[in-house]
Amino acid sequence: MRNMFSDAPRAALGACYWAFFLYLMVPLSLMMAMSFKDANFVAFPIGQWTFDWYVAVVQDKQFLDACLYSVLIAAATTAAATVLGVWIAMLIVSVGPRGQAVLFALACLPAVVPGMISAISLRIFVSEINLPTGTAAIILGHTVHGVPFVVVMALTRLRSMPANLVDAARDLGADSVVAFFRVTLPYLGPALFGGMIFCLLLSIDDFVRTFFLGGYRPTLPMLIFARVQGGMSPEINAMATLVLVVTVSVGLYAEFLTRRARTR
Amino acid sequence: MARMVRSRLYRSTLGAVIETRPGRLVLLTAVPMLWLVAMHIGPIYEMFKISLFAGYPVEAHAAAGLTLGSYAIFFRDSLYYQPLIRSFIFAFGATAFTLVVVYPVAYYVARIVRPEGRSKALLLLLVPFWAGEIIRTFSVIMLLANRGAINALLREIGLIDRPIPMLYTSFSLGFGLVYLISLYMLLPLYSAIEKIPSHLLDAAADLGAGPFTRFRRIILPLSRDGIVSGCSLVFLTCIGVFATPILLGGPSTVLFPETISVFFHGASDRWPVGAAFSLILLVSSLITVGIFMRLVGGRGTKV
Amino acid sequence: MQPVVEFANVTKSYGNVTAVDELNLRIEAGKFVTLLGPSGCGKSTTLRMLGGFEIPSSGRIMLAGKDVTRLPPNKRNVNIVFQDYALFPHMDVARNIAFGLELQGKSSDAIHRRVMELLELVQLQGYSRRFPSELSGGQRQRVALMRALAPDPQVLLLDEPLSALDAKLRQQMQIELKAIQERTGKTFLFVTHDQEEALTMSDTIVVMNEGRVEQMGDPKTLYSRPQSVFVANFIGDANLLKARIVGGDDTRMALTWNGTPVEAAATGRRAQPGDPVCIVLRPESIECSTSPLAGANSIPGKIRQRVFKGNHTSMLVEIADGSRLMALVHPTDIDSLSGEDVWVRPAGA
Repeated sequence: MRNMFSDAPRAALGACYWAFFLYLMVPLSLMMAMSFKDANFVAFPIGQWTFDWYVAVVQDKQFLDACLYSVLIAAATTAAATVLGVWIAMLIVSVGPRGQAVLFALACLPAVVPGMISAISLRIFVSEINLPTGTAAIILGHTVHGVPFVVVMALTRLRSMPANLVDAARDLGADSVVAFFRVTLPYLGPALFGGMIFCLLLSIDDFVRTFFLGGYRPTLPMLIFARVQGGMSPEINAMATLVLVVTVSVGLYAEFLTRRARTR
Repeated sequence: MARMVRSRLYRSTLGAVIETRPGRLVLLTAVPMLWLVAMHIGPIYEMFKISLFAGYPVEAHAAAGLTLGSYAIFFRDSLYYQPLIRSFIFAFGATAFTLVVVYPVAYYVARIVRPEGRSKALLLLLVPFWAGEIIRTFSVIMLLANRGAINALLREIGLIDRPIPMLYTSFSLGFGLVYLISLYMLLPLYSAIEKIPSHLLDAAADLGAGPFTRFRRIILPLSRDGIVSGCSLVFLTCIGVFATPILLGGPSTVLFPETISVFFHGASDRWPVGAAFSLILLVSSLITVGIFMRLVGGRGTKV
Repeated sequence: MQPVVEFANVTKSYGNVTAVDELNLRIEAGKFVTLLGPSGCGKSTTLRMLGGFEIPSSGRIMLAGKDVTRLPPNKRNVNIVFQDYALFPHMDVARNIAFGLELQGKSSDAIHRRVMELLELVQLQGYSRRFPSELSGGQRQRVALMRALAPDPQVLLLDEPLSALDAKLRQQMQIELKAIQERTGKTFLFVTHDQEEALTMSDTIVVMNEGRVEQMGDPKTLYSRPQSVFVANFIGDANLLKARIVGGDDTRMALTWNGTPVEAAATGRRAQPGDPVCIVLRPESIECSTSPLAGANSIPGKIRQRVFKGNHTSMLVEIADGSRLMALVHPTDIDSLSGEDVWVRPAGA
């Protein structure tokens, strides 16, 4: 069966893959390279190299504050979205097939609504419930956006869980609450952790919701957006590179964890 | 945990609640249902409500009537409906282009890479996925700017004297959109193509189908689910993109989200118009996706 | 003596389907009792009702004299070994076994001692830190058994626990299960559809069919004195001959089969002359010979099929009225039966 695909299409497809990889990587690599340019304007070729921009970035009060703020929001969002997402998933698996379909569609709704519309509707919503724009509104908005992803992750895992694990726990003297915390939740474990990190990054990367729900204190994407509009400088590149490296490594780590969980 | 469960506090509170069937039901149902109804439907509903108001906030002694006036504004001025049309054109174009570009890549990873190498091959492409919208858009500027990499390269090899203006055009916007969304297409396509059992291809080959026929008659129809969900995801993401057109587009490439945002920046009495426009965008894009799903997907080709 | 488990008129139905129908059952303490029946006979439902996972539609379930009909599983002192073991994948062997003990509020010292004692009982001392995914099927089986035994239940329920094992291991586990039951003196309630398992291990077998008890008794009685065609067919192979009663007393019956007078052991059920009955003839109790056998009941026939089974050969013999009998022939006798004609006679009848 080796000649099922003759080698030419095989090679062409391989070329497609690597071309696509380059396409994805080149802009980001250029952005990273530019952060080392020893000049205060953005232009190729780079010429002189320096680390100064990184020194500047880590001393930039605004940047550090934005980092802290973003992480704070992301942590709160993740905590809330995880609790709600798992709770919703537990409800979904415990109802009949028709109810499941309705609840699942409802749970996924915020992931389907285009970002801009979601942001506008949330802006109107927080104003209707008299919640001022700012930290609480951002966290609420990000949580709405994050819940569907936690639900999907938790549901996938819950559906693969042998039904009688909970029966066994109950049989050995656990009530429903104990069975949930001692058996169901640890079973969700690694997959859920992956979902949480996904949620975390979703919040850190989010721009449009933060833009409409935020107050004066900028999150990381807001800060970078404002700086880019204010004029290019390799300092923005250094900033973006730092954020990129951290988020990518966290993201890859989460991917690694969920993959391992799936093969268990 | 065991000690907590045996404590009197637990047994008189939570422990007592879950003793009874209604108690368990309330514990399981109350919070999720409240969240789903209030937070997943609530905002859309409020947006719909406000879109029918004449002004916002509603003044104390204003007439309480509801009006479709905000929707009428949309059709009155090409300044409003043109960006919507443009949004759709860009979203369609980017979706179609992404599908064509990403399909061979997904096919390569799902069918040609050996199974044990697949997640690595996929992970390599996922790296940029974790950079946010702003950073990815920003990196496109590095490539396309007048003093960006492409122009610098072309000048270096002597092809041009003056930079080709690529930024702030339809080209840069399209490029940026595709760059932003292509990974949303990759994952659904990959999982659909990977699921196709390879013995089906062997069977087709055995019956005399050549590579092209196998692709057209087996792979393409069976990966339809992936095509549908990938395209829908990409299309809806494109429709709702806000920052990218602002950073990469020019005055002639204003997309609808930017139009909507204007109503929320200045005096807030324009909110009903913004809400109405958002709903127009939401409904028209969902209908489009619905029609697309109807046309392409769901003809019972589950393996 | 008071039974440890008592089902009183228990019925369980799902919509129109009745899974268990007016079940009455008393189980004595310290016995190995097996619920035997084909799938869908209600045996698993019976077990799950005793475990607390199903609430009966009507009737009462008593456990050691206490009404437990509506108690949730965590409030009753019975433990179950699940068909696929349901070991907690994220806990190691020791923690799996300790789970029930922890919830009883035992001290960690006491838990540790009990876990070690149980692991020793099944020779798994070195495995306490292993995870279920690192154990073989038989080891998982033993851990599941110990986990259920750990909280010292009044009755141990076993829901077809051997069905996931291969044939060799299954036989070995049958012997081990019986040994553990005898050593611990616990009441075991075992559910299976495999008659061989039931015969090997049980003190008492309860044969169920369509939600009812067909017959209850020790293995030997069930095998040699089945009270219904269903039981005769389900336990062992059986040749069934339709006959009519002509007379007899409590132990022997005089019957007529196709005009031939036959004598058979009575089942204990009251029957009047003229009633139709079925004679159960086990294949191993049919004697075969090339010449007419001495005594009553000798019938001529023709050999239609021979199947070599190793330690015996099973033969299909067609007799005068066209019905076919299955007979087992010892390897030493088979050579003499090379022709087609044969005489058969129920041994000891």
